[in-house]
Amino acid sequence: MSTDAASVELVGEETVENVARAALLAGLTGAFAYVSFPNPFSPAPVSMQVLGVFLAGILLGPLWGGFSMVLYLLAGAVGAPVFSGGSAGLGELVGATGGYLWSYPIAAFLVGAIVHGGLQLRNPVPRGLVRLVGAMVAGTVVIYAFGVVGFAIVLEMTLLEAFLTAAVAFVPAEAFKIAAAVGVVRSDQLAAE
Amino acid sequence: MTLGYRPGDSLAHGLDPRTKLAFQVAFAAAAFAHTTPRGLLALTALSLAVLRASDLSARTALVEYRFAFPFLLAGPLVAAATLGPPWIDAERGFASLLASYRVVLVLLVSAAYLRTTPVRDSRAAIQRLVPGKTGQLLGSGVGFVFRFLPVLQSDLRRIRDASAARLGDQRSLVARIRHVGIAGVARALSRADRFALALRARCFSWNPTLPPLSFSRADFPAWAASFALVAWALA
Repeated sequence: MSTDAASVELVGEETVENVARAALLAGLTGAFAYVSFPNPFSPAPVSMQVLGVFLAGILLGPLWGGFSMVLYLLAGAVGAPVFSGGSAGLGELVGATGGYLWSYPIAAFLVGAIVHGGLQLRNPVPRGLVRLVGAMVAGTVVIYAFGVVGFAIVLEMTLLEAFLTAAVAFVPAEAFKIAAAVGVVRSDQLAAE
Repeated sequence: MTLGYRPGDSLAHGLDPRTKLAFQVAFAAAAFAHTTPRGLLALTALSLAVLRASDLSARTALVEYRFAFPFLLAGPLVAAATLGPPWIDAERGFASLLASYRVVLVLLVSAAYLRTTPVRDSRAAIQRLVPGKTGQLLGSGVGFVFRFLPVLQSDLRRIRDASAARLGDQRSLVARIRHVGIAGVARALSRADRFALALRARCFSWNPTLPPLSFSRADFPAWAASFALVAWALA
């Protein structure tokens, strides 16, 4: 076994904290993939996965939030069962729903950039209702745009067909997730952490 | 998921993880470039050979990916349906069916990777493939995700059980998602803070010692196959 003979170069305090938070939120997004609730308005159950994407962007800011979702995709690609239904593997990234997965880092970055009004993380996290909802609506648009285009390319369908097959049953539930995410960000329990 | 790594001495177990990653990408490129009955027939034979070389039955792999199938079946059906006579456009349905089948083949090959590659090897491969500090952060981050996923899952399970015991499952949908979200994030963040402290206490560094990776003689045929697939895809 080869050993690095150079002296140990420690990772800076702030970076360690950010990496730990990014990894934990990536893991939480994966764990959310297992949690689903019956949807009163649609036969498709509501999964909490997208909530993880929103929260990564809001709590970690655009850069580390995006990084967190990259970790999520990489870990899933090499075998962590974090994709929907506890699935994993590089094949999922080019599979029918791969477009949704590719959108997560971009959506987390966008949500973070809008909420924090730039690339810098603002502390405490801004809690204005309009800004939060606007950011998450923009994130949802990105996620569905990537998801539908990816579905249409992979299964060789038109965009309308792809939208009807892979998106329309899930869109109404996004409003619930956005409402819940606002509640999470504004909760006193998290502010006290 | 039972598709995780299992120790073994199959051909694929002996390959370097970078070889297997490259092969998966090459296979996917070939499957997307040659979505024809003949092309997919050849790739089916290849994917079965890959499964055989990794001691994994196609059945096990397909059962693990069962959640992908509703979409893969619905795609061709919706593509075939047309508004107005003749109602069914068999040609478009067939094109979409082939497209759907190529995804199944790609999933089979990635199942072989998951079964034959331990996490530490994947992590080492990431750190060697992505240069510099970015690679270090990605590699160690992926390791942390693997480490914490089961912990976070059981956190969420406990939150939901506790909530159900207090009739929480009769509240509105938004209230339930919010409750699981708040409690889940609070626990994840407090775990992250403790974990960051532990990492610093153990001198988390930019240059840790990675498990050794080296190409062996068995890797050459696999690389040759990958190059052949890419050449075929580009042809």
